[in-house]
Amino acid sequence: MAAETDTGAIEDFGQVSRTVGTVFRYLLLAATMFGIVMLAVLLLYVANDAIRPLTADPGWYLAFFLALVAPTGIAGWAVRRRDPAALTFGTFLVGMLVVSLMFSGGVALLVIDVVPPLVALAFAIGLAVPIGATVGLTRYAHRISFTLRLAATTAVFYLSLFGLPGPIGDAVGAPPIVPSLVALVQSVPVIPVDWMMVAAVVGGGSAAAIGTYVASVGDGSAGLYAAGVALAASAAAGAAGPLVGVDSVPAVVITAVALVPTTAYAWRGGFTEEGSPLGLVFAATVVVGALVGAAAVDVLGFAGPQSWVDWGFLTSAHSGTAENAGLYPAIGGSILLMTTVAALSFPVGVGAAVYLEEYAGDNALTRFVDVNISNLAGVPSVVYGLLGLGVFVTYLGRSAGTVLVGGATLALLILPIVIISAREAIRSVPSDMRQASYGMGATRWQTVKNVVLPEAFPGILTGTILALGRAIGETAPLIMIGAPNVVFNLPTALGSKVSAMPLQVYAWSSLFASEDFYTKAVPAGVVVLLAVLLAMNSVAIVLRNKFERTQ
Amino acid sequence: MSTDELTTDITTQTENSPRELLTRTFFFLCAALSIVTTISIVALLVTEAARFFSLTAPLLGVTGPTASIVDFLTGTSWNINGGEFGVLTLVSATVMITLGSAVIAIPLGVATAIYLSEYASERARSLLKPALEILAGVPTVVYGFFALIYITPALSVVFPSIGTFNMLSASIVVGIMIIPMVASISEDAMSAVPDELRQAGYGMGATKFDVATGIVVPAALSGIFSSFILALSRAIGETMAVTIAAGSRAQFLNPVNPASFLEGSLPMTAAMVQLLLGDITGGGLAYRSLFAIGLVLFVITLVMNVISDFVAQRYREEY
Repeated sequence: MAAETDTGAIEDFGQVSRTVGTVFRYLLLAATMFGIVMLAVLLLYVANDAIRPLTADPGWYLAFFLALVAPTGIAGWAVRRRDPAALTFGTFLVGMLVVSLMFSGGVALLVIDVVPPLVALAFAIGLAVPIGATVGLTRYAHRISFTLRLAATTAVFYLSLFGLPGPIGDAVGAPPIVPSLVALVQSVPVIPVDWMMVAAVVGGGSAAAIGTYVASVGDGSAGLYAAGVALAASAAAGAAGPLVGVDSVPAVVITAVALVPTTAYAWRGGFTEEGSPLGLVFAATVVVGALVGAAAVDVLGFAGPQSWVDWGFLTSAHSGTAENAGLYPAIGGSILLMTTVAALSFPVGVGAAVYLEEYAGDNALTRFVDVNISNLAGVPSVVYGLLGLGVFVTYLGRSAGTVLVGGATLALLILPIVIISAREAIRSVPSDMRQASYGMGATRWQTVKNVVLPEAFPGILTGTILALGRAIGETAPLIMIGAPNVVFNLPTALGSKVSAMPLQVYAWSSLFASEDFYTKAVPAGVVVLLAVLLAMNSVAIVLRNKFERTQ
Repeated sequence: MSTDELTTDITTQTENSPRELLTRTFFFLCAALSIVTTISIVALLVTEAARFFSLTAPLLGVTGPTASIVDFLTGTSWNINGGEFGVLTLVSATVMITLGSAVIAIPLGVATAIYLSEYASERARSLLKPALEILAGVPTVVYGFFALIYITPALSVVFPSIGTFNMLSASIVVGIMIIPMVASISEDAMSAVPDELRQAGYGMGATKFDVATGIVVPAALSGIFSSFILALSRAIGETMAVTIAAGSRAQFLNPVNPASFLEGSLPMTAAMVQLLLGDITGGGLAYRSLFAIGLVLFVITLVMNVISDFVAQRYREEY
């Protein structure tokens, strides 16, 4: 090689010190790591305060190491050597089980303490009937003009949810003539047991989702079959739950929301042609290891860590003493707020993004909306709180601190973020696909509905979940709209007062400031809040990675 | 004929069917909501602030106590119960937080951006970027708690005279949380610098250090500068961390005197939270002062956002 023989010549060419470059490089690396390391240390401190790992018996650690950590390590190593993709799949499967169990806890909270099963069932039926009618009309009644069909579906929805004459009649004082379907279901004299209704609503919803999913990857009859199995599993869990010591309603919810989808994912990834069955081995090792470890410490009597994040903390309300204080009403409040925020900001955000990307021409108005949205994204959250206080509470006369006002305020806050991320997702749909759709004679709306939105959906969903992650940590707007610091019951309606997890953490660290709260309740609240955030963000990141791979 | 024109041409025939009109209207209304939001914010802040000042209140028919606009903008003492509304007190605290967080976030953020865009391997980037995003994703109330419980006691080892509530710990956490903002926008600007410039530098015999500091950073300067302004505007609007960590007693501090960082004061956002948690009756003077502070805050952040946009557009190097 010429370069090697000519090294002398290169050295003569000029003296260049490598020290400066090396020092600079490592300074940069240190600067990059500074924030990350600092946050990691702070998180370790707060986790130590909340979970107190040092209070556990050494035997407890040994049992879990032998049952869980060591087998997981060995299985992971072995699976990875044979098939790296299988390890990824197995890890996802375990992650999905954990996240969906958290999620099912939230759903169980809703059906047990917020919405009575009968009301949920009534609204499910009241919505399912008109939706079925709409689908039927769209599919089989092409002869009828669109305007007529729209009128018919609107009428069916109104009748089913409100009856005749409904709220319009109430406003003018007309007597009710036809009761709504929702009211009709609730007035039926013979009602089934709670868990059966929960199985119908939650299990039915989960079965419908599974069925649609299986039908989309397989064929229609397989989807129907899968939906039937899923519904039967949820119902069976309700019947079998009490036999193993779990109440029927939680058993149904856990099965429908966590176990059935995880099983479906395991079946798809493990037993179909492109699947990797070894991943199942890894996942089974982890799950069985955790169960065996738990059983072993129970039998041998090893005490676990005296964590402040325990069942009592998650299921009790605020208390004057840090030991007894709990997060339950705040968790429920956060769930209801996030549901409201998602329901309000998702359609509006996607609608605005579709308008700006697909409909708007390149004119002054569009540019103005564009600049306006990016400026709105920079407005401090406390100003959004003022907006909620001034407009919703003072001018519109809503009572302060309710689920509806809080949800609407937070929805306005994250709307710019949702719009910006939805626009990016829509922009990444290739133009060829749109042109192909127009070439087939599709109209603009048909193109949006059949081509653009389905293609952009994973991206939009990712952006929305990340935005919701921002909303769930927001405290200032909730304080501004007058959300109470201490709530002892779960909110049961859109008009009831609501607290939220970050608000409760703030209340504990400022209004109940004492060494006791600082070292017990607040770290526990912080850990729960961060765990929920982590779960939401990991779902978003998994979705994003999946989405990027298919692009 | 471009494809866009073709699309317009094909779709005009069906453009006016009821279904198309309905969906189009719905999407337009969604987009228009953002304008409605802006107008509501401006209108609300301006009218409520106008009812607060004695100069403008009579025009709106407000009776009862009002505050002088001169005292509001130039007064240096803030005491709601005593009727003293000197917003400069709050602004001085906000300026301190902003300066303090800038000292942390600007060097670290730019260094991070240089490292990610010039030095890091593809694999290191894929690990570091999500890790940095976490810094911005942690709820601010959590940062406030960290500052109060862990950082202040650690600082008191170095500065024994530090108060329980102090500007230093609040500045540190705010600085940490805006690092990702400086880093990601600056890195975008540095990645946009074309490779030819770097290659030309190497061709002249420059080292990697020379190229990074002498070519890439100057070429990306407008983007880097606009990232500073955006991040600082975020620091100004930051609420919960400063509310928990910086204290609740308003006092006028000299922002450029390092010693005053050891004391606590009340930044604008924290003052708003404090007003709300106190007993304010709807429509009273305290209630209206909330909107006056809000207006000052809104104007400052808006101006900074606009400047940042302007800098990014106007001084961008075109390649």
